[in-house]
Amino acid sequence: MQRLVVNHIVKQFGDRTAVNGLSFEVGEGEIYGLLGANGAGKTTTMRMVLGLIMPDAGTVSYFGKSYSRELLPIMGYLPEERGMYPKIKVSEQVAYLGQLRGMSRKDADSSLKRWLERFDIPEHYDKKMEELSKGNQQKIQFIAAVIHSPKLLVLDEAFSGLDPVNVELLKATVKELRDKGTSILFSTHRMEHVEELCRNITIMHKSRPVLQGPVKEIKKKFPMERVLLAAEHEVQGLDKLTGVTSLTKHEHGYELRITRPEVAQSILQHALAQGPVRRFELMEPSLNEIFIRTVGDRHE
Amino acid sequence: MNNLWTVMSFTMRTKLRGKSFLILTILIALLLVVGSNLPYLIDKMAKGGGPVKVGYAQSEQADLVTSLSAVLSALPEPKVELVPVETPADEAGRTAALRQAIEEKMIKGYLQFVTTGDASFPSVTYLSKKQLSTDASQQLQASLQAVKTDAAVKDANLTQEQLAKLTAPISFSSIRLDELDGTGKTQEERDTALLLTYVILILLFMSVMVSGQMIASEITSEKSSRIMEILVTSVAPLQQLFGRVLGTFVVAVVQLVVFVGVAVLNLTLPHNKDSFLSLGIDFGNVDPLLLVFAVLMYLAGFFLYAMLFASIGSLVSRTEDLGQAVLPITMITLAGFYIAIFGMNSPESSFITICSYIPFFSPFLLFLRIGLAEPAWWEIALSVGILLASILAIGWLAAKIYRTGVLMYGKRPTIAELRRAMKAYKV
Repeated sequence: MQRLVVNHIVKQFGDRTAVNGLSFEVGEGEIYGLLGANGAGKTTTMRMVLGLIMPDAGTVSYFGKSYSRELLPIMGYLPEERGMYPKIKVSEQVAYLGQLRGMSRKDADSSLKRWLERFDIPEHYDKKMEELSKGNQQKIQFIAAVIHSPKLLVLDEAFSGLDPVNVELLKATVKELRDKGTSILFSTHRMEHVEELCRNITIMHKSRPVLQGPVKEIKKKFPMERVLLAAEHEVQGLDKLTGVTSLTKHEHGYELRITRPEVAQSILQHALAQGPVRRFELMEPSLNEIFIRTVGDRHE
Repeated sequence: MNNLWTVMSFTMRTKLRGKSFLILTILIALLLVVGSNLPYLIDKMAKGGGPVKVGYAQSEQADLVTSLSAVLSALPEPKVELVPVETPADEAGRTAALRQAIEEKMIKGYLQFVTTGDASFPSVTYLSKKQLSTDASQQLQASLQAVKTDAAVKDANLTQEQLAKLTAPISFSSIRLDELDGTGKTQEERDTALLLTYVILILLFMSVMVSGQMIASEITSEKSSRIMEILVTSVAPLQQLFGRVLGTFVVAVVQLVVFVGVAVLNLTLPHNKDSFLSLGIDFGNVDPLLLVFAVLMYLAGFFLYAMLFASIGSLVSRTEDLGQAVLPITMITLAGFYIAIFGMNSPESSFITICSYIPFFSPFLLFLRIGLAEPAWWEIALSVGILLASILAIGWLAAKIYRTGVLMYGKRPTIAELRRAMKAYKV
């Protein structure tokens, strides 16, 4: 039985449709990616999953049951727009949020201390939130979302505004949670995170799911159209080959766009005829490209 | 239930620990200490100097001064003492000598007698650097009057009997019929109730304004700091709302207990006892039922207004916009308070009676009526009934508004937008 099953949910705000017929499933120990431009309906979907608002049509079920308040202690949420009490001590407010999620004060406190150690910031236990740097505030907010070891975690733009070191730290933590069996619904518009973390994704555009499935299969659907080529010598006449639509000369080689994957072979032969080739790669499309294509196409 | 308690204790803890709360409480407590001892202190300072020394030229109006001195010294608490000053015979020299006496601090001022034409009694003027206190001035005037009457009586050759008849004071007093029959409140009871009403009105008004604003601004700041998103996914909005209101209520009551404790402690000090008895206030006279109503009305008023403030707070996204948004409720509170304060003069007017059925005003006015007028039991029941029903209705509405409002960002929603959002959120 899947942990979270979202079945054809629809949400209407007045005349505007925020989410239109979205379905997906998240299993145990899985990170599910929800992608989309701003206003695509990601946050509304997450709010429906969290039970903040009810879908107009469709259902959301958790462990095979529909939403009830008993689920609150096993759900965790890191909202996109972060906020904590600025004037209250870290220990005080994180313990409070843990208590609200059904922990005892003692458990919440020891869990907080463990997490602070994990993030290497135990000295912030007794500080007020406003005294911390932005990066550390975000870490505290992350701790607040996971302090009660939720089974279902919703992360809305979890890594936005963090420096690369902290992104790696949080990414490693998210993976750890996944390996421990947490089901994570993850939204972002940074594609490189999705490729690294998510097994399945949905790309949303203007309230509709436009692409859905395992990351690998989605990539397969998009033809490989990009060739990287590097040789010891200058390769002449690449742009004259049939099937090559564009040629860009980089510092260390060439990037070509082609109409069919087979064209790649003729490029390789053409280059080899002129001398040894140092590097040749038929690139699979990045999610970034897929995203821009899928979403961008519909713009036109 | 558990979460309700968690929210409540967090609200109380963060507030009671706040520096501003502590400072404000101590400051008001100090003011109360000073305030409750003020009548005594003023009294003490006034008494400190003893009677005012008033000089007169030794040779002048000897008969009059002798009788005046006799009348003054016969008073139980003379505020004026006559002091003779030796002066030369001529007018200018006399004035100079009397002024000299003031400079030398022998006397505070002096009396000047001017006899005009055929009037048998001279006109008297008190000359001094500083104004004579009202008490002393009245005493001096009354004593002069007495001296004049005596002189006139002597001239008319009246008998003792005739004199007694002439000076016997008339008797006038007003008694209410219900008082006479023993069914209504005595004057003392009414005085005590008046004071109690005053105190309860002010406490209720203060609590409602301070706590209400606090509740509203906290909800708004939770919204603007976006911690609200985490809160609403952790705890049911109803528990969150009522936990906060209850927590704030406990804090307000703690503060009230401190204030009332300080005031009562100071007022029962031995030196303050007399000042209350002299005002006709005896706390032994307080009807216990009135105290029950005081507590009931305080509770009702607090929760009614707390809910209103909470729902407004949940609609506003930015703290800057809050002041304007709560203005209507502030106005209603002010209106209730002032109607009650002015209504104390005529608690039985039909305006007060009608207003006491309006739930926003009844916490203020119903108590006033019970304390000072004699409303029928059904009037009280009806008023309390309307009030309780509106608290339930407003609590229910506030919970709905809160549930919707906390998720709405941007500009303050109109009522139509709010209703649409309520439908959309299915609350």
